[in-house]
Amino acid sequence: MSDYLGEFEQVVLLAVLRLGDDAYGVPIRREIEKRCGRQVTVGALYSTLDRLEAKAYLSSWFADPTAERGGRSRRYFRLEPAGVEALARAKAMFERMWKGVRLA
Amino acid sequence: MAERLLRRLVPGREGEIIAGDLREEFAARGGGRIWYWGEVLSCVAVRLSPHRLTAPDLRQDLHYAVRVLRRNPGYALTAMICLALGIGVNSTVFSMVNELFWQPLPLPHSGRLAIVGRESDGMACSYRDYLEFRQRASAPAGRFFSGLVAYDDMRVAIDSGGMSHIVGADAVTANFAEVLEMPAQRGRWFRPDDDRLGSDPVAVIGDGTWGRLFGRSAEVIGQRVRIGTQRYRVIGVAPPGFVGMSPPHMVEIWMPLASQPGVRDLLANPGEWERPLVRLIGRLADGKSTREAEAGMRALDAMIRRDFPRDNAPAGAVTVELATGASRPDVRRVAAPMAALLLSVTAVVLLIACVNVANLILSRSAVRRHEMAVRRALGAGLWRLARQTLAEGIVLGAGGAVLGLAVGYWSGRLLARSLPGFPHGGMLALRLDPDWRVVAYAAVAGLASAVLFTLAPAMDAVRSNAGVSLRIRQRDVYVVAQVALSLVLLIAATLLVRALGHALEVDPGFAMAERLEARLSVSEPEYTAQTGRLFLDRVLAAVRAMPDVQSATISHNTPLSITDARCAAPDASARPRRAGADIVAAGYFDTLGIPILQGRGFAALDRQGAPQVVVVNETFARRYWPGKDPIGQSVWLGCDVKEPRTMAEVVGVARDAKYASLDEPPQPFVYRPLAQDWAGFLTLIVHTVGRPEQFTAPLRATLAALDPNLRVYEIETLEECAAGSLFQVRWQAALLAVFGGLAMVLAAVGLYGVVAYTVAQQTRELGIRMAIGAQRADLLWMVLGRGLRLTAMGIGIGLLLSAAATRLLGGLLYGMSPLDPVSFATASLAWTAVAMLASYLPARRAMKVDPVVALRWE
Repeated sequence: MSDYLGEFEQVVLLAVLRLGDDAYGVPIRREIEKRCGRQVTVGALYSTLDRLEAKAYLSSWFADPTAERGGRSRRYFRLEPAGVEALARAKAMFERMWKGVRLA
Repeated sequence: MAERLLRRLVPGREGEIIAGDLREEFAARGGGRIWYWGEVLSCVAVRLSPHRLTAPDLRQDLHYAVRVLRRNPGYALTAMICLALGIGVNSTVFSMVNELFWQPLPLPHSGRLAIVGRESDGMACSYRDYLEFRQRASAPAGRFFSGLVAYDDMRVAIDSGGMSHIVGADAVTANFAEVLEMPAQRGRWFRPDDDRLGSDPVAVIGDGTWGRLFGRSAEVIGQRVRIGTQRYRVIGVAPPGFVGMSPPHMVEIWMPLASQPGVRDLLANPGEWERPLVRLIGRLADGKSTREAEAGMRALDAMIRRDFPRDNAPAGAVTVELATGASRPDVRRVAAPMAALLLSVTAVVLLIACVNVANLILSRSAVRRHEMAVRRALGAGLWRLARQTLAEGIVLGAGGAVLGLAVGYWSGRLLARSLPGFPHGGMLALRLDPDWRVVAYAAVAGLASAVLFTLAPAMDAVRSNAGVSLRIRQRDVYVVAQVALSLVLLIAATLLVRALGHALEVDPGFAMAERLEARLSVSEPEYTAQTGRLFLDRVLAAVRAMPDVQSATISHNTPLSITDARCAAPDASARPRRAGADIVAAGYFDTLGIPILQGRGFAALDRQGAPQVVVVNETFARRYWPGKDPIGQSVWLGCDVKEPRTMAEVVGVARDAKYASLDEPPQPFVYRPLAQDWAGFLTLIVHTVGRPEQFTAPLRATLAALDPNLRVYEIETLEECAAGSLFQVRWQAALLAVFGGLAMVLAAVGLYGVVAYTVAQQTRELGIRMAIGAQRADLLWMVLGRGLRLTAMGIGIGLLLSAAATRLLGGLLYGMSPLDPVSFATASLAWTAVAMLASYLPARRAMKVDPVVALRWE
């Protein structure tokens, strides 16, 4: 696969990876906000998650409904092997590009 | 609330999840309604982005739509023609509005040309100010303009073939063509030494003048032509299509500013800073915006006023605006309400056309219910089917827009050709060239109407289980709406047509029949006031001696175009107020049949050296001397600005008349005798026996015998003059009548379609009715009654709408009530007749239903 990850896609995949078993909407957004210092709207987040799932980089499942969510279930995400590989490719690409480069 | 919106827009499990996430965070944040709404809207925005909606399927939809329409050419063509008519009139009116408001001048890089004006709409500055502006604005420090031209609009007479023709002219500075980047078609433009005091007067003529007066002859270059009061050498011909910088006013002659006698005299006086006033147009320097230029020019204006103080400086701050549309703000202000009226009228016509197409689609969707059901059964979503209808609409809309542009172009030509019929119409020109704005407008109109007329059928496709009866009712609503809207236009048109007739019946206060008027110029350098009066005495004597002449007189203004006004006051110290004014010769009141109610009219004894006299009208007498005898009272004329007031004695009171237009209220008016006052541009009024038209040629011959060089302009009957003063209402009545008629035809087609459709649907029912003994006449009435019921409802609503809408025409009705019952009744009756016809045709078909065939059909 020669499909490159977009910058925001990378951020989202990494957030899911970092969160492990706890990766659903709310913490993913918090993680991105905390580490990148940028606000993410729920619309943008879910459209990216859906896209990544369509590319089979992610999979998701629904948990049981909880009371704190007004009786609604959570949708948990997990990285699939293809997603891990895509992240690795992206990282390797950046490392190749950075090799021997000095800023200023 | 927001949550419900979210759940509606993001259906299924996904919506649940997002709502859950949001609720959890909402609790964690401890509130934040705005935040919540923002988040919801972000979901909606992502979901509605066109990328996600259409990308994969739109082409497929359009492809399918084209195929469907190709298989039903009659349906497609009917729909497109309806749309084309609607979009056509819209694009014609829009191209007019475009030309008056947005189109740049037809010159290279005209997007950088800017008009320098004043907030007060006045002229920009004096000629000497211009020289300062030009020098300082292009000095390296403040370079806003790469070139700045001063010009002045005027009307001049150009003589050719023994006739004088009045045309628009511009006096310009020598850098004119260079700044406008406009080469001459033939010969050359001005050089700096053409625009100096004392240089040989030269002129450049426009392409139109060249063709009309000189037969496009190459020999015109170098020829001497009398323009105004001087003989000019023609040095060039302007490029075709260029008619000056103030469209729609057409300029056909250009002369150097310094060659103008008035300018020459003023510039000979080095201390003259106030006059002559000029207009300015400039080419913005690279990288400068109009705003920067405006700020710069304002600063310069302040500096120049400080350096060269004067009493009467132009009022208002300097403005710099791109030279688009009618560059003169006063023209735009007059045109704006007319443009708004026409645009809304044509929008209504388009709306009616859209409803027609919606009806067509609706009746087809009934036919296609089978296809839709199959597609649904095969798993097509509702939205998918609705989108299919929309795609068909877009194809129809696009076809309608293309055809509409063609219709619009053609009707625009027609309109442009009818313009010279206006008074002074020879001096107005609309190019009505479609440019990208017109195309964009047609495209938007096409697209908007596509959405509009597919919306209802698309919703119908979605609710495909809705019954036939509902669909019929929906169509009924459309027809009622169409009838109502077109009735509004029809009533407005009828009102204007009747107002026109009404205006022609208004008593102007003077006699028009058998009177002829001729415009003469008896001005410098050929005549002074002294020699002019002597010459006019000879003219009057000669004309009175002609056969079939009852009387003749002279006035400064032409009746019904008197716009002059003077300051008048009852004593030397009272604040003066404006009153209409004219200068007239002895015999004026007799020739025009204006009765003198008290005192006397002007006579030979009112000459120079004799006491100054005036005749006032009733309103003037009532204003200043209510209940007193006005004869012998004094009137002080003059506004006290420069000259002292002059005192004159009232010798007579004339009956009120109409002075500037037929719909004006009574206004105070003061007449001065020609023997004690002077103006070089005059109107000769002749009262003839019999038809005044036949008098034109002998009158010209008589005048030419007295002075072969005398400039005589148009000769018209007073009735023609009066008709000309009504051109605005005449023009609007004509346009509204066309639009109203078109709207009625479209709505009648819609009504016909609905009734015909019901007849087709009810064939079986009609057959059964006939089989069990209904008479043909009963069936006829059943069908006809349906059409008429719809019409009656439409007319009812239309009357209510009209009552609200016609108030907008108030100013054009010449005192007629906007609720004029005759107009309302006439238009309603006309509509009823049309509705009878539109429902009779399908009803006749219903009568021909053969019960046997109808029953066997199933």
